[in-house]
Amino acid sequence: MAAVPSYKPSSSAQAFLDSIQSAKYDRQIITGLQKFFDGSVPEDMRALYSSPELEALKAVKGTPQDVEKRMPVKVTRHYFELARHSRSLQTLIKASPAETYDLEGAPDPGRQMDYSPVEGMIHKYELALLYVASTCSAHCRFCYREELIAKKEVTRPDGTVAPKGLAEVASVVSYILKHNEEVAQGGGRHPVTRREKLREILMSGGDPMVLSNVNLGTWLSSLAEAGIEQVRIGTKELAFFPARFDSTFFDMLDKFHQVYPGIALRMMVHFNHPDEFLAKNADGSYIADADGGLVWISETKRAVKEFGKRNWITVDNQAPIIRGINNDPDALRIMQRELRRNRIENHYFFCGRDIVGHRAFNVPIEEAWRILNESQKGLSGVEGHARLSITHYKGKTEVVAVTNEPLAGVPGGESGVIIFKLLRSAKDAPLKGQVAIAGRNPEAIWFSGYSDRVIFDELGLFDEYLEVGRKKAAAAESVEAAV
Amino acid sequence: MAFIVGEGCIRCKHTDCVATCPVNCFYEGPNFLVIHPDECIDCALCEPVCPEKAIYRDTDVPPEQAYFIDLNRNLAGEWAPIIKKKEAMPDAAEWSGVPGKLKYLER
Repeated sequence: MAAVPSYKPSSSAQAFLDSIQSAKYDRQIITGLQKFFDGSVPEDMRALYSSPELEALKAVKGTPQDVEKRMPVKVTRHYFELARHSRSLQTLIKASPAETYDLEGAPDPGRQMDYSPVEGMIHKYELALLYVASTCSAHCRFCYREELIAKKEVTRPDGTVAPKGLAEVASVVSYILKHNEEVAQGGGRHPVTRREKLREILMSGGDPMVLSNVNLGTWLSSLAEAGIEQVRIGTKELAFFPARFDSTFFDMLDKFHQVYPGIALRMMVHFNHPDEFLAKNADGSYIADADGGLVWISETKRAVKEFGKRNWITVDNQAPIIRGINNDPDALRIMQRELRRNRIENHYFFCGRDIVGHRAFNVPIEEAWRILNESQKGLSGVEGHARLSITHYKGKTEVVAVTNEPLAGVPGGESGVIIFKLLRSAKDAPLKGQVAIAGRNPEAIWFSGYSDRVIFDELGLFDEYLEVGRKKAAAAESVEAAV
Repeated sequence: MAFIVGEGCIRCKHTDCVATCPVNCFYEGPNFLVIHPDECIDCALCEPVCPEKAIYRDTDVPPEQAYFIDLNRNLAGEWAPIIKKKEAMPDAAEWSGVPGKLKYLER
């Protein structure tokens, strides 16, 4: 890799950075299972895992079924306190041997390395994603970036094998400037990819909110100086440790806005279940707020209100539908309604990707569609914006509809069909809006479950699975012939 | 779990790591830095920036440096935090890569 000169902030960026206050945060994180095994976790946290659960986890330690090797275990005190009273949150945060019964899955889901021009950056759609941290305050067991968090070896397109690395400011700025220069010289479109100017960056990982105000401010100001117009921060910290969004954080954001008033900040948050932000009575029921809606956990509400006060910041929620956590239309209805009430847009719900171990978490695609559809009955149009998305290598794909009646005269449509539509397509989005239709398979948890019943596929969504299917069929035939 | 500063830091103490740490969990002695194992959040940003490659994940500490695991915890409890990068020690270049520096550790 050619050496990139280290990044030098402009004088106004430097003045902004020098003005940032940092704070120390007391997340009381418990990392790993060892402290539970040897009993050295704080007394009140011992109850998180029962003895039989710990025995089962110990039994797979060091074997290919090692749960911590697949996905490191981490929990914050704040989330533990909520999980005490919530089955769903326990399922999200507690390691279980069930995660490694079946390790089938893609080592690099979505083949993201195909779209990585510099280390730590994915430039697939019109926006680019950066890995700025490789850990979060706590770890969701179903994380689809487990290959980054667990530092697994991933094969890159050039054949090298190495764990995914984090983005560096200098390399990213250099790429953005070069890319946008090429777009300008191409008359507004990149000569190779036909994309327009790169205007939006998503800071992701891991969770960018584990970084300090100075780290975050460095990214924000350097991206602004490189000509980026919108910055997204993808984070679950509002659920894991809302105290992170303190006055020093908002002070940093306000100072950033003064120096760079044209830049928009889009917080992309991740709530899976209302138990992560709603207060509960002793009997577990939510509490009606005298001002309307439901009562929130005060720390979380305060943070969300602070975002709401700043008109240059938007907040959107995205979450996967995961078995045992939120595969429940009533919980999702309450969540969508309460989030929207508090100025958080419902952006997407996701079907689980084909990560290693996905069989433990994924709800069948058709079931996820039914759950989301049910949850949106009774929501107004403004509350029910979220679509169900599943990320194919070709791009984010909406699960548009699942029908039940037979399609007369359409082979494969006897039990109804499932309709997919491509929402986001790589580079200049040539395939956006194209459709694929397959016959029903209530058991399918990934596209591969439909490869034997494709009805219409202008997208080529099922091509790779048809190829695998053909190879399998040919192999089976030759075995049969030999016998 | 946490990261551990090992022997390579002694008498060099570049402090590049301090600039990257989001939670200010480095503590400073006369010729060595340590990481407080309870404050470290495993962000892994410090490990690649150390010019001496002296920082290890606590699960990846070379056997001959296992002593540093407890040493980081103990000294972090005694020393003051360091939150800004400073100049490396004057003889850092001379001591870079020199094995067996533990005996020079000053408390």
